[in-house]
Amino acid sequence: MSVDAAASAVETRVADALDAARLRRLQALGIFCGFTAGAWLGAAEAPTKLVTIGVSPFVISLAMVLGVFLARWSVPALIQGTAYVGADLRQAPHLVVWAILAGCLWAVANTLTIFAIRDVGLSIAFPLWNTNSLLGILWGFVFFNELRDAGWSRWLGVLGGTLVMFAGATLLALASSTVATRELAFRGVVAALTAGVLWGTMYIPYRKAYLSGMSPLSFVTFFTIGEVAMMGGLAIGFTGGVAPLWQELARAQAVLFWLLLGGFVWVIGDLFQQYAAKYVGISRGIPLSNTNQLWGLLWGILVFGELAGAGRGTYGQVIGGSLLMALGAGAIALASATGREHLRWREAAARESRRYGIDPEYVAARMAGREATTAPPRRRWIDWLIVAAATAVFVVFAALAEVPPLALPWARVALLALAMLALLGGCGWTLWRATRFS
Amino acid sequence: MKQTTSAPRPTRVAAMLRDPHFWVPVAVLVAGLLVLGWIT
Repeated sequence: MSVDAAASAVETRVADALDAARLRRLQALGIFCGFTAGAWLGAAEAPTKLVTIGVSPFVISLAMVLGVFLARWSVPALIQGTAYVGADLRQAPHLVVWAILAGCLWAVANTLTIFAIRDVGLSIAFPLWNTNSLLGILWGFVFFNELRDAGWSRWLGVLGGTLVMFAGATLLALASSTVATRELAFRGVVAALTAGVLWGTMYIPYRKAYLSGMSPLSFVTFFTIGEVAMMGGLAIGFTGGVAPLWQELARAQAVLFWLLLGGFVWVIGDLFQQYAAKYVGISRGIPLSNTNQLWGLLWGILVFGELAGAGRGTYGQVIGGSLLMALGAGAIALASATGREHLRWREAAARESRRYGIDPEYVAARMAGREATTAPPRRRWIDWLIVAAATAVFVVFAALAEVPPLALPWARVALLALAMLALLGGCGWTLWRATRFS
Repeated sequence: MKQTTSAPRPTRVAAMLRDPHFWVPVAVLVAGLLVLGWIT
């Protein structure tokens, strides 16, 4: 088959597998995944708030990334199995490079945010790095045909919604700033903006992988290698070597479990974010996931009493910011891709198939949220071993963990946890029914 | 023997090195590391 024929085969096969009703269903699913991602990503901060002793920010980041690593290998092994990941890898081995690259981008961005918060405070830093969604829209348009032939109403919904969310994020960040904002430092602003650019660019590998047909569960297993390697290198560099880092980790032994748990919760959110990027693209997926700020604030106010004693002005900012974020997210959710825009996505997928020689049947099936084969690989003993090993690590650190003497309002914790579990169950079940997590 | 009209497909590595989707993240990563080095 010639390369052009291969490309047109992708378009024809997607058209066969993806009628208008199926497209609407996948778009709704992607939006549901974006909102669920926001809830879980926002909650990832909660366990880390239990860490009250003086631990280096690099040790906190590294410990969370280690929790992320365990989750990124055990969750895919549990849901689909490593044989499935291996089959994906054989179809598109080049994507390992992009996955590791994306992991490195994440780690550098995360480190920059530590400096940004230190220099300019959360209230300025947060909205600055949230500009990642604007960059995501740009890369989605330029590289992956997103929002092309979408019509002005879709443009208005996505771009307008993102800008409204940005305004809401600014208000929320101002209200939730618990550190006294220092004198505006040029260095901190540069750090926050650079983090936004890195995070916005990180979605290029995401979108490329999913237009090529790779499953999000496969992509994240390689993503985390870049994440751990880069974060490990940065932590070693900033703490002065392997021995000082090890000493810091040993000193923080009693709180490592809470950080690993934070990493685990973050991975659940990130997985839904990956599915959102797959089914609604990065131009819509990123802003919807950015609702995590709203959930983080909800945990902060309801559980950790962060705004206790604050003035009416602060509460006004919180209510106004939350409404703006909800309004912006709603506008984006209503601006899902039309059939004409989806045709342009298929062209981008066909280009990837042609460029890297990926089987058009595989690309087309995955784009429609289906499997290319009738009998996908099954789980093996090694998958259970990975799950058991990851669980054992969590159990060991849980046994070593100390519960900080905080009087938490457990009814509120239970309420928020129930809301998150309901989203996890609802979205996970819908994703399974519609796509089998493909 | 039937003649094929297929254009020769470059290797994956060659395709990757010609792909802007590769170079843009690489350039941003390098810039990010430079900014981090400057800050510290």
